[in-house]
Amino acid sequence: MAEELVLDTAIRDWVLIPLSIVMVLIGILRYFVSKLMRTTQSPDAKIIKEGSVVIRARNLRAAAGFIPLKAFRARKVYYTNEENGLLHVPKGQAQNPQAQMFSDPNMAMDMMKKNLSMIIPQTLTFAWVNFFFSGFVAAKIPFPLTQRFRSMLQNGIDLSTVDVSYVSSRSWYFLNLFGLRGLFSLILGEENATDDTQRMMQMSGFGFDPSKSLGAEKDGLDIVQHDWVLPKFEQRAQAVLRKRLSS
Amino acid sequence: MASHDESGKKSNENEMPTFNAENLQSNMKVVYYCRTFMSIIGGVIAGICGFTGLMGFVVYVLVMAITSVCLTARAGFSIHSYFDSWNRVLLDGFLGGLLSFVLFWTFAYDIVHIF
Repeated sequence: MAEELVLDTAIRDWVLIPLSIVMVLIGILRYFVSKLMRTTQSPDAKIIKEGSVVIRARNLRAAAGFIPLKAFRARKVYYTNEENGLLHVPKGQAQNPQAQMFSDPNMAMDMMKKNLSMIIPQTLTFAWVNFFFSGFVAAKIPFPLTQRFRSMLQNGIDLSTVDVSYVSSRSWYFLNLFGLRGLFSLILGEENATDDTQRMMQMSGFGFDPSKSLGAEKDGLDIVQHDWVLPKFEQRAQAVLRKRLSS
Repeated sequence: MASHDESGKKSNENEMPTFNAENLQSNMKVVYYCRTFMSIIGGVIAGICGFTGLMGFVVYVLVMAITSVCLTARAGFSIHSYFDSWNRVLLDGFLGGLLSFVLFWTFAYDIVHIF
């Protein structure tokens, strides 16, 4: 069926453009609301200490080539020493931070608030779209899709002979949902709350950080081969200086 | 793209290149913004010109390639003093702008041709 449907201009004026504008505005609103509602979490001293130990160990691992072997070994022992090494977590304690993180009411409240602020506008907008804008062809997507997408994209339209390219407004909503993420990152700067999958990953990753990453850093330090990058660097410095002075 | 955004970050090391992580990240962010913006513009252009189907995706690849070339030229063709590998500036985020492209392509195409 290669006929070209001609769609009413009113659809463009009253469906496509308002839906896009509403989604952009809701995104901006959500960004500001989440910024206002952000409770300043009083930082836990233990967590910060562990975090900075991890960072220091990581720096040591990354820059191992720039310090002499003995110095590196001394630092490595300081971190991985069995009795009082900073990275050594006794087995019993390792489980506690995790459990504490989850039962801590503040953290749970925060995560719930952030999840809610993500889900509620999406659900509301989706319900609004379904209620008002269903049952007609809203847009034509410029590329052809197979018949299997028909049920997904054309859910309000009950004619089976209409080309799959003509989609209902529900698919326009989803297209907007994914496509406006890029636009938001341009308008709102880097910190915007519209990418929900990314934030959920961040949220779930944060709880496990202290207990597991210490062990991981310790293993990483144990594996590192010291590669002395600056051998004979006095001679090299001498050569460079000579060249400079002679030219 | 202001000139102070892409700061060189290779420190003076003869063999082993070291990078300033903050500058590297800021450069990557600039690349990401450029690609997003160009994919939006490319989508509008593709819609207005009436490309459909495969031609539209060809336009997307073309726009991304032009963006890569322009970014390389902006970095003065010496990639290694701004990024840590060629892949970062050429391939990274290639497909990230696809959804925005499709959205604006559909939008422009519908407004101009169907309605």
